[in-house]
Amino acid sequence: MRRILTATGAVAALVLLAACGGGQVRGDASAGSSSDDTFTYVTNTEIVTEWDPALSYSNEIRSMENVYESLTSYDSATETVEPRLATEWTSSEDGTTWTFTLRDDVTFHTGRPLDATAAKEALDRTIEKAGGAAYIWDAVDSIEAPDATTLVFHLSYAAPIDLIASSAYAAYIYDVDAAGDGGDLDSWFAEGQEAGTGPYTVAEWNSGQEYELTLSAYDDYWGGWADGQYTTVEYRVTPQTTTAWQLLQNGEVDFVETLNPEIFTQAESTDAVATSETSSLQNLLALYNTADGPMADVRVRQAVQLATDTAGVVEALNGAAVEAEGLVPDGLLGSGAGVTHTQDLDQAAALLAEAGYDASNPLTLTLTYAQGDDNQQLYVTLLTSALAEIGVTLDAQPLQWNAQWDQARTGDRQDVFVMYWYPDYADAYSWFVNVFRSSDDPYFNLSYLADPEVDALIDQLPTLTATDTDAAQAAYVELQQRIEVQDAAVTTLWTDTYQRAFAADVQGYTDNPAYPNVVFVHELSH
Amino acid sequence: MSIHPDTVAPATRLPGGGALARRLVRVVGRDTLAAASAVVLVVIVLAALFAPWIAPFPADGTLATHPADRLSAPGAEHWFGTDQVGRDLLSRVLYGARTSLGIAAAVLVISALVGVTLGVVAGFAGGWVRDVIMRVTDVFLAFPALLLSLALASILRPSVQTTIIAIAATWWPWYARLSAAVAAGVRTRPYVDAARCLGVHPIRIVGRHVLPNSLTPVLVQLSLDAGGVILTAASLSYLGLGATEPTSEWGLMVQSGQSLFTTHWWVAAFPGLAILVTAFCFNMLGEGLRDALDPRSAS
Amino acid sequence: MARHLVRRLAQSVVVVVGVVVVSFLVARAVPGDAAVSATGARASASELAAARERLGLDQPLLVQLGRYLGNLVTGDLGTSLHTRQPVASDLGNALPASLELVGAAMLLAVLIGIPLGVLAARWRPGPVDVTVRVGSVLAVSAPVFLLALVLQLVFATRLGWFPTAGEYARSLDSSSPLTVWTDITAVDALITGNWPMLGSVLHHLALPALALAAYPTGVIAQMTRAALVEEGAQDHARMERALGFGRMAVLVRFSLRAASAPVLQLVALVFAYALVNSFLVESVFNWPGLGSYTATAISSVDTPAIAGVTLTVALVYVVLNLAVDLAQTALDPRVRLT
Repeated sequence: MRRILTATGAVAALVLLAACGGGQVRGDASAGSSSDDTFTYVTNTEIVTEWDPALSYSNEIRSMENVYESLTSYDSATETVEPRLATEWTSSEDGTTWTFTLRDDVTFHTGRPLDATAAKEALDRTIEKAGGAAYIWDAVDSIEAPDATTLVFHLSYAAPIDLIASSAYAAYIYDVDAAGDGGDLDSWFAEGQEAGTGPYTVAEWNSGQEYELTLSAYDDYWGGWADGQYTTVEYRVTPQTTTAWQLLQNGEVDFVETLNPEIFTQAESTDAVATSETSSLQNLLALYNTADGPMADVRVRQAVQLATDTAGVVEALNGAAVEAEGLVPDGLLGSGAGVTHTQDLDQAAALLAEAGYDASNPLTLTLTYAQGDDNQQLYVTLLTSALAEIGVTLDAQPLQWNAQWDQARTGDRQDVFVMYWYPDYADAYSWFVNVFRSSDDPYFNLSYLADPEVDALIDQLPTLTATDTDAAQAAYVELQQRIEVQDAAVTTLWTDTYQRAFAADVQGYTDNPAYPNVVFVHELSH
Repeated sequence: MSIHPDTVAPATRLPGGGALARRLVRVVGRDTLAAASAVVLVVIVLAALFAPWIAPFPADGTLATHPADRLSAPGAEHWFGTDQVGRDLLSRVLYGARTSLGIAAAVLVISALVGVTLGVVAGFAGGWVRDVIMRVTDVFLAFPALLLSLALASILRPSVQTTIIAIAATWWPWYARLSAAVAAGVRTRPYVDAARCLGVHPIRIVGRHVLPNSLTPVLVQLSLDAGGVILTAASLSYLGLGATEPTSEWGLMVQSGQSLFTTHWWVAAFPGLAILVTAFCFNMLGEGLRDALDPRSAS
Repeated sequence: MARHLVRRLAQSVVVVVGVVVVSFLVARAVPGDAAVSATGARASASELAAARERLGLDQPLLVQLGRYLGNLVTGDLGTSLHTRQPVASDLGNALPASLELVGAAMLLAVLIGIPLGVLAARWRPGPVDVTVRVGSVLAVSAPVFLLALVLQLVFATRLGWFPTAGEYARSLDSSSPLTVWTDITAVDALITGNWPMLGSVLHHLALPALALAAYPTGVIAQMTRAALVEEGAQDHARMERALGFGRMAVLVRFSLRAASAPVLQLVALVFAYALVNSFLVESVFNWPGLGSYTATAISSVDTPAIAGVTLTVALVYVVLNLAVDLAQTALDPRVRLT
């Protein structure tokens, strides 16, 4: 009997082997060049969830920006739009017609040369797909390609197309004929293929694996190649910060996207490691429920603002963030509104008493924040502690985004909603139109603010930005004063600081926060 | 994460009440390791009960924060050091004992009540009632405990109550199976048959014959399980599915200290050690009880 | 024998149906809108509605269950909302690495646990027995997530004896590429004689497998000891001793064989526990298995993936239990009677 069992087991095992087998060789042997020319990027979550450049709106930006290019790019250090696939551009006086001149020496990875028609086809497809960040082209009425290097945008209302064309999402130029005659482009992309113009092409993609994605140099890249540049880029998924740091110390990887401040401090004093700190365009908002519950009373909102120790939170974050001066972070038009907060528990208590809350009628507030976010948790812990001192109980719920958002829109509305915001392209308009413009069905307006004067100010922002930047700056400052101080609808808690650590022999790295977490590897050498 | 109940002896007729207690004391007294564990457990329970009085910074165990004192190394003032917001870790570990022991007690009481009730009904009633209850039990037992707790916890809002519900939901079947076996064993005994013929009410039979017989194996199982429950609860909090800030909970503390482990080891290490010591003592005591009370492994 | 087999199989079928229903319910009860996972955090309202329709989330629950069961029969576990790949193929990618890790851990556990149990039973009572008891209870009580961190910090970073993370050295993909037969790297390296790859995998496996082996080692040592003590008290063992066999010989030759049934059952049980425990270990060591996949699925509310993982692990568990049960029936005639 035992022998029969053993035999059965062996047969079953063999069948299993044959079923999964096939005897293919794993990995792309050609991709593994000498590790010296390989740049290994460590990220804590998988890279690619969407291959379609029209729809991509997530982590894959890290690799997409090395494979695809947009017409322009934005440099947040100088706050200017710079050429990329387009060499120059002009706009009509009223900001509704924009004319771009394209480079004439660019070919797609598919072999097709880039011309205005190809660019028009790509953008038309992206707009028609209407997925991801395609909304950024809302102002565009039609796109025209009068000759091979001229691309004209006709708009239905004035908008800064040069800025929009530099967007981190939905602005890629790609070859719409990549799938060939009769081929379905959607499924062609879904198989993990690309049709960009960038310096790298996709060599290997192993969904769910540690070495998820490998890119290799595109020999005919218009920017050319020099000695010392990296010819291979590897993306290595490493969920734990401590593990990532240990890999960098051992010299196994070249670049770590995110470290915590304590490890970053250690990295700064480690010889074989270089570091970079850059203020990002992402900030954390505490949105107060202006529509219902106890916080509908502006005095309660002001009291919570006063109880929030923004300086203390930033200090506890130990370098991972800087104090915000309003909703618009540095590096964008509209920044420098000078809105700051100082903790004052006595005044907070006085406001609460005025609003009718005291020991006999204690106040309880609910707050929702992102589950698994250490920094948000730190803020919540400190706020809970501060509010407890003035007799307010804070019931803080860490939730996954789905649940947090669902509850805020349809269920029992919270009093405080904590979330990050960042712009899709380098324009502060994003905060205002998405988060603070009134709406019957609140989408991201989770302070439920409905202030007609705020709405009116928001609606004139695109035109002002396209035609008169000084007026736009003034309008932004006024809006921030109004929303954060007068309406007390929000506290901008901090602006994230990107803390990167990389191997000391990596030369030429600069962090461009307009493209969050992207390393433009072609710019590097070693 | 528990030892299979099949390894615990089924029906053993034992004296109930005081006699049982005396026997337990005697048995544990003979086993130095189990006795030592029992002593440590008593100390932990007392620490949990009196945490507000013995913690050096009791406010740190609940709501207070001191950002200025963040991440101080263990020393004279803070024996276990401080965490990211400057809270005294010794105080938080002491308060964490309340959370962990509370969770363990709640889970075990709920599981034992539900499980023993269903098990006794199944075992005593027999027939289709038994089949239905036991098949449901089998379905639940087909999930490794942590897996089902994890799945359940991921659909509920993270909190201490969630942890208790998620773990209890996966733990009761063990007790159901255990007591069903005991009840089924007792049911066929001649004296139970006799009692039934004499017209004794079934509930009375259960009370007099079935429950006392279930007591020993259930008690042993409870002690063995307490360690497992504490580890499971810590695992859930560690994955962000259990207790939430600012609750002092060991698993949550390890999780928030994990990314500091290479630079500030104490933030994760002390709560981790607390989990280890408590789980160890419960498991050691359970082992000792099982060895002593199980005639199959008695020497 | 045949009747027992049929009854046992029928029971397993009932359990499997229950498991499917429970995992479906778990997946559908996740709070929040599952369509958000499919579209991303900043989707427009129309995209959300389209996703809801595509995923069938607008249908009544029973219709959804029906569709789920129908697809399941064809091996279709749905499409992951997060990776946008079929869950079945995601699991196919993740499971081999997990089996490799858990298999290595179980191998370690058996190789360490059984001898320790034998030693404890042989020199009982005494310091050896006490040491084994304390050691095994310690191993069972250690929070595996902390153990993983400590092992990594001490043996990889401080001492540099083992690699920090990963499954094998990446450079081997070009210098000695692996021919894939089973998708389990260590097994493939062994059967194709790819020694550099095998060495690298074992080197990378050591720390995560050790962390994961702690619990099973402790349980197996305890169980072996207990089973041997019980066997040793029985008449045949006394007889063998009387016939002049040494204590160790009796333990190893006779008692260990008799004690193998409960230990075998335990190994199957503990295997499933180790599989779930790997959820807590894998992310520390970048092990590209089920644990890393599940962690992402939970944090991105990827309901089809959560259901798929729950179902898969439960099925592995049911099948293992059934196999052990049947093996025992075959080995031990007494079981058939019950």
